[in-house]
Amino acid sequence: MSSPAKLLLVDDEQRFRTTTSKLLAARGFSTATAGSGPEALEQMKENAFDVVILDVRMPEMGGVAVLAELKKLDPHVEVIIMTGYASVDTAKEIMKLGAYDFMLKPCAIDDLVEKIEAAYDRKTARKQLK
Amino acid sequence: MERPDVERTSGDHGGTKAGHVVGSNMSPWRDICPYAPSAVLTASAVPLGLTAGWGAAAAVAVMAAISIVSIHRLMQRIHSLDQQRHLLEEQIVRANKLSTVDELSAGIAHEINNPLAIMAQEAQWIHHLLTNTGLRDVKEAAECEDSAAEISLQVNRCKEIVHKLLSLARQMEPVYQCIDVNGLIDNITGLVEREAVPRNIEITKTLQPDLPLVYTDPPLLRQVILNLLMNACQAVDRDGAICVATLSEDGYARISVSDSGCGIPQDILPKIFTPFFSTKPEGKGSGLGLAICRGIIERMGGHISVSSMEGASTVFTIHLPVDNRPQELPSSH
Amino acid sequence: MDKFRVLIVDDEVDFVETIVKRLRDKGLEAEGVHRGKDAIELLDTRDFDVCILDVRMPGMDGIETLREMKKKKPSMEVIMLTGHGSVESGIQGLQLGAYNYVMKPIPFKDLLKEMTQAYERKLIEEERSLKPDGKA
Repeated sequence: MSSPAKLLLVDDEQRFRTTTSKLLAARGFSTATAGSGPEALEQMKENAFDVVILDVRMPEMGGVAVLAELKKLDPHVEVIIMTGYASVDTAKEIMKLGAYDFMLKPCAIDDLVEKIEAAYDRKTARKQLK
Repeated sequence: MERPDVERTSGDHGGTKAGHVVGSNMSPWRDICPYAPSAVLTASAVPLGLTAGWGAAAAVAVMAAISIVSIHRLMQRIHSLDQQRHLLEEQIVRANKLSTVDELSAGIAHEINNPLAIMAQEAQWIHHLLTNTGLRDVKEAAECEDSAAEISLQVNRCKEIVHKLLSLARQMEPVYQCIDVNGLIDNITGLVEREAVPRNIEITKTLQPDLPLVYTDPPLLRQVILNLLMNACQAVDRDGAICVATLSEDGYARISVSDSGCGIPQDILPKIFTPFFSTKPEGKGSGLGLAICRGIIERMGGHISVSSMEGASTVFTIHLPVDNRPQELPSSH
Repeated sequence: MDKFRVLIVDDEVDFVETIVKRLRDKGLEAEGVHRGKDAIELLDTRDFDVCILDVRMPGMDGIETLREMKKKKPSMEVIMLTGHGSVESGIQGLQLGAYNYVMKPIPFKDLLKEMTQAYERKLIEEERSLKPDGKA
């Protein structure tokens, strides 16, 4: 079964992007990828995404800044933050900026899928409210 | 956010302390040498009616005697300075090490977790291929599957260590609450007793009844004492005793945890608060427990020390200021 | 006494019922759930000051629940509760930011004291984060 959720995976590690999207494809998700913040924003302008999976620490433009920009482009997009460095403070900041959830790297694909589904559910539920 | 502060403290202190050491090394020569010539002059100038030759000989003798005294004093002075220098050097090294751990761990967390994340994904992909494709029927599939699972397991182990390291480095600003330390200790020993009693380890408490209330961060202090007690249990293993004591000492609350365990050899004693130093078997204990303890206690303005008799006992002693709240609280204005 | 909001998470239905009742008698706002997952979901719609969390529960256990709670509501103080003193999970809980770790059975008045202290800490932290010279 394939999910209608459109995903964008943003991470500066090329190998992480390809393998994660393969794993997600095996779970029925179609995933676009971007290797940097600016690239992600470009893609956002051209296509609509439901859920963005976003790395916090990237050269050029950090995940927190990307998150703010993404939300400007599409306030309804749900963002799951991935980080290798989680502190209560970063969590506070990230949640305040409107991220749906955050995950610690490395992560199990099952956990990621669970979060994607929950984020997608929320997005569709909100759409129906409108 | 507090990080720059810490870096500054350790860095600057390191610098000034080093400066002091170099400066004060010069002082014995200034202190003692200037006296020596003047003493010689005074002595030789005393008119004793001796001939010039005798006078010269006496002067030499007096000079020699004074020199011996001076040299002795000088040696003493150098020795004590040397000791002071060692102490300071130790502190500098430690301060540097702490800030290095701070900086490094933040960097390492990202740098290590990213490759770990890739390894995790690859292992999960192998798992996927082995269970969902034709590879399923290959006879070595089960063995490959087992390998992939082991990779995932070890990746997780690394992840745990990195996150523990982060909790060591993370600047947790203590939240000071006025608490009864004895009560806190009662609470924790109650918990540890469940572990200790079945192993015939007796926990005794010698708590000063009128110990002043202490402004401290209760969850952080709990973490430290719990950690020390767990270490004590491990050191004793079976049939022994652990004693927790409190004592009020000149603006400080002293908390000690002693055990009748195996003791710690003198040569490794200085290293036990060092991050990643562990005597536990590989895979058990990350070597961060005591480093975290020291980090917490020092952040609250206290200090922690250890002494041990090999094969007999170990004592950890914490000195915690009774009131270490930041000054700008309401009481000041 | 200050009125604060308490969430109780424990799979022992009777225990939750009694505590909730007694806390409400004291004039506190109290809510009880029986599974970690329910607690996490409840946090989406409601705020609490203090949470009493059982360590051993079927499904999502206490430590896992604590982790998720601290992500969602970092400022909510959590007191871990256990029937069997698993000291390791105590250390783990404290490292993950729990306020305390207490053993069942605990007299109600002691538990209330713990909760009050935990709440006091939350107030101090909140006050600090409001100060302009405090960290951003």
